[in-house]
Amino acid sequence: MSSPRKLVLLTLFLSAILVMPTGCWSSKEIEDVALFTGIALDKGQPAPIEKEFESKGATYSKRNKVMATLQLVPFKSQKKQGKKQNDQKSTFLNISGSGDSILEILRQFSIRLDRPLMGHHLKVIIISVDLLRKQSIEQLTDFLLRDNEIRPSTLVYVSQGPARETLMSKKLNEVPSFHLSKAVRNRSRTSKVLKPITLSRLDSLTHSKKSFVLQTLVTGGGELELSGASIINGSTGQWIGSLNQENTECLAWLSGDRNAGVIKTDDWNGETITYEIKSLRSKITPQVKGDQISFQVEIHTLGRLIETWDEQSHPTTNDYANALDKRLEDKLAAMMEELMVKLQSKYKSDVAGFGRRLAIENPAAWKKVKEDWDNVFSRSEITFAIKVRINDFGSFTED
Amino acid sequence: MFIRTDDRITTSQAIVFMTNTILGAGILTMPRNVTQATKTPDAWVAVLLGGIIVIPVILLMVKLSQQFPGQTIFQYANRIVGRLPGKAFCLLLVCYFLIIAGFEIRSLAEVTLFFLLEGTPIWAVVLPFIWVGAYLVSGGINAIARVYQIVFPISMFVLLISFAVSSRVFDIDNLRPVLGDGFIPVLAGLRATIPVFVGYEVILTLVAFMENPRQAAKAMIGGLAILLAVYLITVIFVVGGISIDSAMTSTWPTLDLIRSFEISGFFVERLEFPLMVIWLMQMFCSFCSFFFQSSLGVAQIFNLSYQPVIFAMVPIILLSTMVPKSLQDLLLLGDMIGMMNISLFLLLVLLTVVWLIRTKGMKQHV
Repeated sequence: MSSPRKLVLLTLFLSAILVMPTGCWSSKEIEDVALFTGIALDKGQPAPIEKEFESKGATYSKRNKVMATLQLVPFKSQKKQGKKQNDQKSTFLNISGSGDSILEILRQFSIRLDRPLMGHHLKVIIISVDLLRKQSIEQLTDFLLRDNEIRPSTLVYVSQGPARETLMSKKLNEVPSFHLSKAVRNRSRTSKVLKPITLSRLDSLTHSKKSFVLQTLVTGGGELELSGASIINGSTGQWIGSLNQENTECLAWLSGDRNAGVIKTDDWNGETITYEIKSLRSKITPQVKGDQISFQVEIHTLGRLIETWDEQSHPTTNDYANALDKRLEDKLAAMMEELMVKLQSKYKSDVAGFGRRLAIENPAAWKKVKEDWDNVFSRSEITFAIKVRINDFGSFTED
Repeated sequence: MFIRTDDRITTSQAIVFMTNTILGAGILTMPRNVTQATKTPDAWVAVLLGGIIVIPVILLMVKLSQQFPGQTIFQYANRIVGRLPGKAFCLLLVCYFLIIAGFEIRSLAEVTLFFLLEGTPIWAVVLPFIWVGAYLVSGGINAIARVYQIVFPISMFVLLISFAVSSRVFDIDNLRPVLGDGFIPVLAGLRATIPVFVGYEVILTLVAFMENPRQAAKAMIGGLAILLAVYLITVIFVVGGISIDSAMTSTWPTLDLIRSFEISGFFVERLEFPLMVIWLMQMFCSFCSFFFQSSLGVAQIFNLSYQPVIFAMVPIILLSTMVPKSLQDLLLLGDMIGMMNISLFLLLVLLTVVWLIRTKGMKQHV
C-alpha cells in the first residue's frame, strides 16, 4: 500500500465490490410472484365476476371467444386463524377471464392480482370440448408454445364438460393441476390412461396435420376421472368425436405402447372371468396391392386368469385354459371391431398410427395417399389376428 | 498482460481448437435448419454427408498451409497472388471472422435473454463476454487452447448427459423411414448442413501455430470427426425426441427437446438450465476463436503489434454484434454466413490454383 498507484487501484477495486455484489439483475423473490400451475380454456363467455366488473363499466375492447381460467398456487386463504377443525384451507385460487387473446386475458389478471404471474411451473392445460368445436387447437396453443416461460413438457387434456370445473376440487390440500399431472403414473395399471400428450408432441401432431387423440376428463361430485379420448381432426384441428374407455384401451393395445389392463368376459355359465394382461405385443403390417391398401394387425398377449366367479371352473387344466383363451380372443376381437367401426366409419380418422406404419414400411405408397389419408384409411380393409394366452392362474387353485 | 514465448500448440490442442471454434450457438438451431431443408427424418444423413463433403475442403486448406511452414494465411497470401490482391483477400477473411464473432455473441445473448435473463439489457450480457474474450485473446493462442481444453470436456459431459436423459422421449419411429423419399431431400439438406461447419477457415492460421505441422491433417480431421459425432447425436436425439414436425417449428429445437420433459427426483428437474449455462462457455470459446483470428489478421496484414489491435477490435466486434436488429435479422445473418463461407471457399480454390500454376507450371519459387 505504499505507492499512490496501488492505493488508486485498491479504491477502484473496493468501489467495484460495492456495486457488484449487491444482487442479481431483475431477480424476483418467489413469494412475490404468482405461480400458475394449470390453465383451463373454455368457450367464450364472461366469467361471473367479470360480468359484475363489466356492469360497472370496467371493460376493454375484446371479443369473447375463449375463457381462460388460471390456477394459482400456493394461495393462502384469509381465514386461517381461530377454529382449527372447520378450517377450510384452500391451497389454490382459480381466476377466470374471457377475451380473444390468451396472453391479453393473462395480462388482464394482472390488474386483479397483487403479484405478477409466472408460468415456469405450468403443469397442465385443459381445453373444453365445446371450445374445440369452434377453435382449432393450433390457435389455442399458439401462445403457449411461443412463450418463454411455459415449458413444452406441459400436459394437454380435453374436458367433456366445462374445463374450469376440472380445476376445482373438494379434497382438502389437493391441487387439481398437480393431481392431473401425476395421474399419468397410473399407466402402469391400466391402458385407459393414454400416453400423455405434451405441448411439444401436440406441436408436432398439429404441424403434421394428422388426426390424433387427447385424454378426456370428466368431472362429477367434485372429483374427476380420466375417461376415454377425444379425437382431434388433423385438417381442421377441431374436436370431432369421443372414444369411450374401452375404445381407448383398445387403442393403446393396438398401438402397442402399453401392456397393462384387464379383459373381462363371461364364461359359459354366465359368470365373470377376468384376465390380467402381463405382456402384449402388437404389429400392424400394411399391404399395398395397386391402389388397394389393407392392414393386417397381430395382437399377442400373455397373462393371468386373475378372477373367476364360476365355482364349477377348473382353471388348472390345459383344456379349461384353452377354452377360455378362445372366449377372451372373441371378446378382444369384438372390442377391436367396435373401435375400428368408430375410427373408420363414424369419425373417419386414423388415430391409431396405421398411416405411420405405412409411411415407414412403404414410403412410396404413403406419398400418394398422405394428403387424403383419413379418407383412404376409412376405406381400407383391416383384419385382425388375435391370440390371447393364459399361462398363470394366481396363487389360488380350486380343484 | 502475459507475454508468451511459447506460441505453439500441441496436436491435441489443435484438435480441441478446431472443435471448439465450430461448436457454438449453431447446435441450438441446427436441427431446425436441417429439418426445414430436408423435410424428411433423413436430416441425420444430410449431416453425415455434409461432414464428409467438408473433409476434402479441410485437407485442401491443410495442404496449402503446410507449404508455408510457420506462416498464416495473412502472411502467405501476399506471396501467392501479390501484395494487393493478397491483402484484399485477407481483409475479406478478417471481415468474415468479425461477422461470425458478432453472430456468435449475439446468438449467445439472444438465447440467454430469452430463457435465462429476461429483463437484463443486452449490453449487460454482451459487454462482459467481449471484455473477458479480449483478456483471453490477448494471452495468445496457447492460453486460448488451454481454456478450450478445460471447457470442452465439461460442456460435452453436460450435453451428453442431457441427451442421455432425453432418451425417455426418444421414439425410433420418428426417425423412420430412412431415405423414404430417396436421396433428393438429403441433397436439399446439404444446403443447411454444410454451413454448420462454418469456421473451419481457422485451419488457415492454425497450422502455422502447430508444434508438429506434419500432423495437421490428422488433427483437423480428428477435430471434424468429433464435431460430426456431436452434430449427428444432436440431430438424431432432437428428431427422435420431438419429431421433425416439432423441430421445424421451434426456434431453438435442441433446447425444446430438453424442455419437453421433466425429471422429478433428479438433482435438477429441468436440464435446460444447466445445459444453457454450460453451453454459454462453449459459445464463448467459439467467439474467442474468431476474435483471435480477426485480431491476428489485422495485426499481420498491416504489420501492427498484436496487443493494441485486440483492444481496437473490441468496439468493432460490439458493432458487429449489434447490427442485427431482430431475431429474424439474426437468423438471416446466419444464412448469409453460410453463403459467405461458400464464396470464400471458391476464392481459396482460386488461390490454390494460382499457387499450383506458379510453382508446378511456371516453376517459380514462391
